[in-house]
Amino acid sequence: MRRRVAITGIGLVSPHGDAPEAVFDALLAGCSAITRWGEGDAGPAVVARAPFDVTRWFSRLQLAGVDRVSQLAVAAAEMARTDAGIKALDQGAGVYLGTGMGGAAAIEEAFRSQHSSGRVPPLTVPAFMPNAPAAHIAMRARLHGPVFTYSIACASSAVALAEAAKAIACGEIDCALAGGSEALLQPGALRAWQAMQTLAAPADDPSQSCRPFSADRSGLVLGEGAAVLLLEDYDSALARGARIYAEFAGSGVSCDATHLTKPDAAGQTRALVAALRNSGLAPGDIGYCNAHGTATRIGDPVECDALGQVWGDALASLAVSSTKSMHGHLLGAAGALEAAVTVLALHRRALPPSMHCEQVDPECKVALVREPGQTAPQLQAAISNSFAFGGTNTVLVFRRAS
Amino acid sequence: MNTIEELKQLIHEKFEIDVATLNADAPLADYGLDSLSLAELLFTVEEHFNVDFPDNRQDVNTLRSLSALIDELRVPSAA
Repeated sequence: MRRRVAITGIGLVSPHGDAPEAVFDALLAGCSAITRWGEGDAGPAVVARAPFDVTRWFSRLQLAGVDRVSQLAVAAAEMARTDAGIKALDQGAGVYLGTGMGGAAAIEEAFRSQHSSGRVPPLTVPAFMPNAPAAHIAMRARLHGPVFTYSIACASSAVALAEAAKAIACGEIDCALAGGSEALLQPGALRAWQAMQTLAAPADDPSQSCRPFSADRSGLVLGEGAAVLLLEDYDSALARGARIYAEFAGSGVSCDATHLTKPDAAGQTRALVAALRNSGLAPGDIGYCNAHGTATRIGDPVECDALGQVWGDALASLAVSSTKSMHGHLLGAAGALEAAVTVLALHRRALPPSMHCEQVDPECKVALVREPGQTAPQLQAAISNSFAFGGTNTVLVFRRAS
Repeated sequence: MNTIEELKQLIHEKFEIDVATLNADAPLADYGLDSLSLAELLFTVEEHFNVDFPDNRQDVNTLRSLSALIDELRVPSAA
């Protein structure tokens, strides 16, 4: 028997702040949080930083060996639990967390130290290991269930959410903190992304640098942050009178297995079809797609092609937007932040826009949400796409709470 | 400033532990330092005093023993 899964808590440390409803309001209004990279050590670049006061969550003593990626994760997880109205989680609850790079600040500091003094900080390894964020969440909440880390580039946290939902659906666990964290806004990491020629050229107004689906798009904008959702068995959530943001209806995963970085419409199509089948929904049931939409030259048309192949005639009734135009690409946390945005879109019945797209690329034939403040009174179900380097495609499906 | 006082100041700056609460003979674990934060502290101390601790540091668990070790290691360079 497959149990239904409810989303009852949202915890965010995002470029638009840490209050989920306010973050959604800002996105709905079309506000971009993208700014110029302020330090002169990585050339001209724009990024989306997440405002974060670590003293709210950690004492100085607790911070020994805790990289920013773990700090953000712990804060987001704690806020998700609180948001769900749960004082203490059952010890058997799980942690399913995605991250792309792990502790980027610790890695860079280790290299800097090695080259300058030859002495590397002793807590470098526990600080940068990719499973540190999940472990810190488990220690903070004293959880003894499955504590897993998924590092699947841009699909990391979408896969983490999918896996957590499956574990709840099959009865393995009753509750999970699931999402992702990424904090790689460091000069070396930024330069590595620049070297790949994937980053957006800074626009005259830096906040408008990320232009998904636009004819003049020039690449992605790196962002940082963490997003964690509290998932629980639907009936248990109902029984405790929890506010249910939405139902986690299903997911689909596939791998292109064609190229390490070049997206593939056939692979994405397989994930979209699998997600619809898994959630028991038809294309016409889905009213909104939070697109992967990174604003690279090659990525956006491939995604539109895949959506077109699966949706067919129903494509015109599928509203599509890439909120990365405003919060940037959070890589290992992107799937989770965008899942939170999609869930809030269902909850609020409103569609955040795809900004900075004055002229749509003719290759991107989707019903793009281009104006802020759009409502969707009939919205019943929505999807969130995450397509990773390495070829793994993940599609999450959410349904309005019934 | 003697070494113990200097160490107290360093711990205060690093971990925000009130200097007045630091007792030279109390185990550092009493202040919440675990094996990881102790490792980080020892690294900072090495940098600050420009000393290299031997690999086996298991005897160092109070400020007094840490201070004694620092003084012992500093003697050759001071001479």
